[in-house]
Amino acid sequence: MGSNSLTLAPAPRSAAAEEVRAEVRAFLAAELAAGSFSTHVDTWLSGVDPAFSRKLGERGWLGMTWPKQYGGHERTAMERYAVTEELLAAGAPVAAHWIADRQSGPNLLRYGTEAQRQEILPLIAAGECYFVIGMSEPDSGSDLASIRTRATRNGDGDWVVNGAKVWTSNAHHSHYAITLVRTAPADPANRHAGLSQLLVDLSLPGITVNPIRILDGGHHFNEVVFTDVVIPGDMLLGEEGAGWHQVTAELAFERSGPERFLSTYPLIAEFARRAAEDRDPAQLATLGRLSARLLALRQLSLRIAGALDRGELPDIPAALVKDVGTTFEADVIDEVRRVVDVPASLDSPDPLGRALAEAQLHAPGYTLRGGTNEILRGIVARGLGLR
Amino acid sequence: MSSSDVDLVVETVRDVLTKFEPFVLTAERPWDAGLWSTLAEAGLTGVGLPEQAGGSGGELADAVAVVGALAAGAAAVPVAEQLLVAAPAVLAAGLDLPSPDEPLSIAVDGAVTAEPRDDGDGPGSWTLTGTATDVAWAGVAQHLAVLATSPVGPVLALVDVTGRETTHAANLAGEPRGSLVLQGVTAAGALLSDAQAEQLRARYALARAVQLSAALQQVLTWTVQYAGERQQFGRPLGRFQAIQMELAEMAGEVTAVAALVDAAVQAVERGESLVLAAAAAKVRAGAAVEVVARLAHQVHGAIGFTQEHRLHHLTRRCWSWRDEAGTETAWARVLGAGLLADGPDALWPALTRVL
Repeated sequence: MGSNSLTLAPAPRSAAAEEVRAEVRAFLAAELAAGSFSTHVDTWLSGVDPAFSRKLGERGWLGMTWPKQYGGHERTAMERYAVTEELLAAGAPVAAHWIADRQSGPNLLRYGTEAQRQEILPLIAAGECYFVIGMSEPDSGSDLASIRTRATRNGDGDWVVNGAKVWTSNAHHSHYAITLVRTAPADPANRHAGLSQLLVDLSLPGITVNPIRILDGGHHFNEVVFTDVVIPGDMLLGEEGAGWHQVTAELAFERSGPERFLSTYPLIAEFARRAAEDRDPAQLATLGRLSARLLALRQLSLRIAGALDRGELPDIPAALVKDVGTTFEADVIDEVRRVVDVPASLDSPDPLGRALAEAQLHAPGYTLRGGTNEILRGIVARGLGLR
Repeated sequence: MSSSDVDLVVETVRDVLTKFEPFVLTAERPWDAGLWSTLAEAGLTGVGLPEQAGGSGGELADAVAVVGALAAGAAAVPVAEQLLVAAPAVLAAGLDLPSPDEPLSIAVDGAVTAEPRDDGDGPGSWTLTGTATDVAWAGVAQHLAVLATSPVGPVLALVDVTGRETTHAANLAGEPRGSLVLQGVTAAGALLSDAQAEQLRARYALARAVQLSAALQQVLTWTVQYAGERQQFGRPLGRFQAIQMELAEMAGEVTAVAALVDAAVQAVERGESLVLAAAAAKVRAGAAVEVVARLAHQVHGAIGFTQEHRLHHLTRRCWSWRDEAGTETAWARVLGAGLLADGPDALWPALTRVL
């Protein structure tokens, strides 16, 4: 029917996923009861808590799909989906390990050297090693091919890196940055050539991490500046010049998960308490409409998990899910506002007012991070055969 | 049931549809009787219904495929009502199914009361009194499965309405949605539980969601095709980034609806409780109509706003279907309230149980 490249097969039912879901749910209830964390919106970027990440690692809920020889647990993407979804719905502090578990680990598994895999993957799976995404630059946002951070070989065969990366969430808590660099001069005829990925140890001399505050004053963004940073030659990830291809593969992981529609779920949960109390028909209808959208997004995201289990790399469907999902995350705020009389304030005595405030102040990011929705729609348009 | 069987069914329906173009429905010509005869001859009006009951056999997935293909073709025949709602309900109630060649529809609105004419549980004879309103294909259907109320609970009654007078009314696409007055009509019927009556309404809503999903997909396909053909400023519309953004937004909506509706249909196949899944599918499909129909017309320009162009056959149907078999808002309230049944702190477990 014309748009098959956008459509994935329905996700299979997974009893194992439901089993681990119940385990995670019980764990989270106990942690909440013990006061080990409190629920917030957008915690997969803002909720850094290494102790919590280690607890997840101890329970086998990080590196879930990776081979056991690298500290993984050889479980399915469907099981991993259930775990991540439960953590997000609870608004748990998962930001420390999120990027490493979601995309850096799979990237290392695919392109890392055996030594890198043996050294780093078990640490990620234990919740002890964190990664930051080194893609965007001060002058390269959506136009990733225009990056200018350069890596050149020195006489010892090592890389010397100069440049800067921005929007590097939680670089100040992270151990490594998988960094997209230019290893050959820009070629106007082939903009995607000459790019490579380097595995950069953030403790190396010449690296400075400068904080950038977001709208609520929170600090997860940074600028990471590289000044003559010498990086061992064997830290090239994958092939020299294949960076664009590798980044595209990485983005399929980055764009497809439930964090692309559940960032504001804690606001929905808070709104549900109001709707249950007021029994106002308009509020119930709003809860129903939001839930219907969320349920559709779950099905889309589950289909992607199913495709990952089949060994596919569904980059176009992932772009579509992220577009629809992040639009939803922001719409939650507007829809709730229309049916409650609660001003948004971080200092509100009403938890719904606080949730609205948190969600609102984080909202501009939902449809920007991981590829703007305009870029995503361009990818979807390609899937429709329009470009 | 393999996907190739479903593909074959869809191909067969599409073949038939090449000979029956959609037309503007009027009170004088409210349905496509010729198409119905052809479908009935091919056994397509009995798909998914057991052979021992006079059906053509096959699974729910086959019936859904037939309904989807007909919806995408803007076919003016009561197949969704018959295959997905009325016939399964009649069979589940233990009533005798009329021949699938004779159009059977469903009436769940209005005020019809049923008085038992004999004693005992199970299928029996009832006297129906009242008015059935918003009846899909009123005046076209020969048989009507009527959801009535009785002193002892909901009743599903099967009424032969051939030649019975109807008050004509139509939806935005001209599909008949009139009312029938029943005065002391004797009919076979069976008592339902409240839950069974709720399931019946939910199945009706899901049937409309299946139609919407297929129609929205077709609207997207037409719009992408048009954007590729229509030249302005020396290039196809689809080359303009502004148009690409609109088409991508449509695709996102269409894909989300399909994923949810497919999952809801699969839940029915597994025999799971249907009400919240159907409510979600109906609400989500209805919400997509806002975006998809608006942008489809925007991209098609003025020609799409005329009866000369095919687009209206589907957009007018979509605008109506989203509020039929229970309005989008009513189902949204059902879903919202249903998800809170175990208290607001159990919202998330409730959501993950729906589908």
